[in-house]
Amino acid sequence: MVKEIQNKANEILQNTFASERKFSLDKVGEPILWANGPKDALHLIKKFQDHIDLKIDFLSDLTAYDNTDKKDGEGRFVVVIQLLSMQTFIRIRLKVLLKANEEMETLTNIWPAANWLEREVFDMYGIIFAGHPNLKRILMDERFHGHPLRKEYPYKQREPFSDNTKINLSNSTRGSSSHE
Amino acid sequence: MSKDGSSMVYPTLLNHAAKWARKNSLWPMPYGTSCCGIELMSTLSSTYDLARFGAEVVRFSPRQCDMLIVAGTITTKMGPVLRTIYDQMLEPKWVIAMGACSSSGGIFDTYSVLQGIDEIMPVDVYVPGCPPIPEGLIHAILHLQKVIDQGLPRNTAEKPSYDEAINAMTYKKYVGPKSQYVVTESGVLPNR
Repeated sequence: MVKEIQNKANEILQNTFASERKFSLDKVGEPILWANGPKDALHLIKKFQDHIDLKIDFLSDLTAYDNTDKKDGEGRFVVVIQLLSMQTFIRIRLKVLLKANEEMETLTNIWPAANWLEREVFDMYGIIFAGHPNLKRILMDERFHGHPLRKEYPYKQREPFSDNTKINLSNSTRGSSSHE
Repeated sequence: MSKDGSSMVYPTLLNHAAKWARKNSLWPMPYGTSCCGIELMSTLSSTYDLARFGAEVVRFSPRQCDMLIVAGTITTKMGPVLRTIYDQMLEPKWVIAMGACSSSGGIFDTYSVLQGIDEIMPVDVYVPGCPPIPEGLIHAILHLQKVIDQGLPRNTAEKPSYDEAINAMTYKKYVGPKSQYVVTESGVLPNR
């Protein structure tokens, strides 16, 4: 039943939105729609929400990947937005190709849940989300400089801070070091 | 007091009595961040029963414990927190690094994980394993009791100055940590 609804939604997407956008299906028959830039992604989401058959109302996930090998075209990052309808159980995967310093539009005005997800993407890839209310690191240390999931980042490279560099061990009896 | 009511005197030196008391009442401070924490709980519960060795009174306040058991991966962001707990513990204090992650970083040789807690604090006993079985932790505690019994001097990190204590982010000096003793089959020997 859900499969049939999904197939019907795929047809709607193909007919309504895929005329000037890339559209494909993945191995399990879920649709991948490529938005033409950040503004278009926001426009598409609003369309999905208002659409009588799609009724998209839930942000399932928001993540990104590094497109260094240019497999998905001329662009540095791909932001992946997983959408779900809690009424029709339709899933849509929206992808946005971004240039190296291009800013993504925030989704926090539509779904407050996007707040932390966007912070994580910013932390790991350095993608700026325009209009985000609190765009700062969520997982890494606040003093960290790099963006570790970028492909050029050496994955073993730790940034030395004064408190995670090695401590001073002394054999002196300063304080009460001996337990005699 | 003996059974018949007559008084009984056990002559000893005060530091021997203190050592005896310390080694048999090692109150642990658990710092479990991952799967090693589960094994730590298992060790403390009734099947393995750490109370047999006097180390069952888990204190969740660093002011009341003697032995910090670090069980799990410590990230660089968590490092200052752990170090603060260590600094808040009262002397005498001992540290057990339980499991591969807290001993050496384990499989997490990445941008965000401390490669062993000995980067930020002196460690007395390392317990290998991923995670170690409860017998491993009990073994470590028994070895720690031997260490305490012999009264071996312990590497301690220098106490922070007032300014350093205010700003816990300032442990700048570095001298490579080297344990002063090694625990072998035949007992505890100085590390040469």
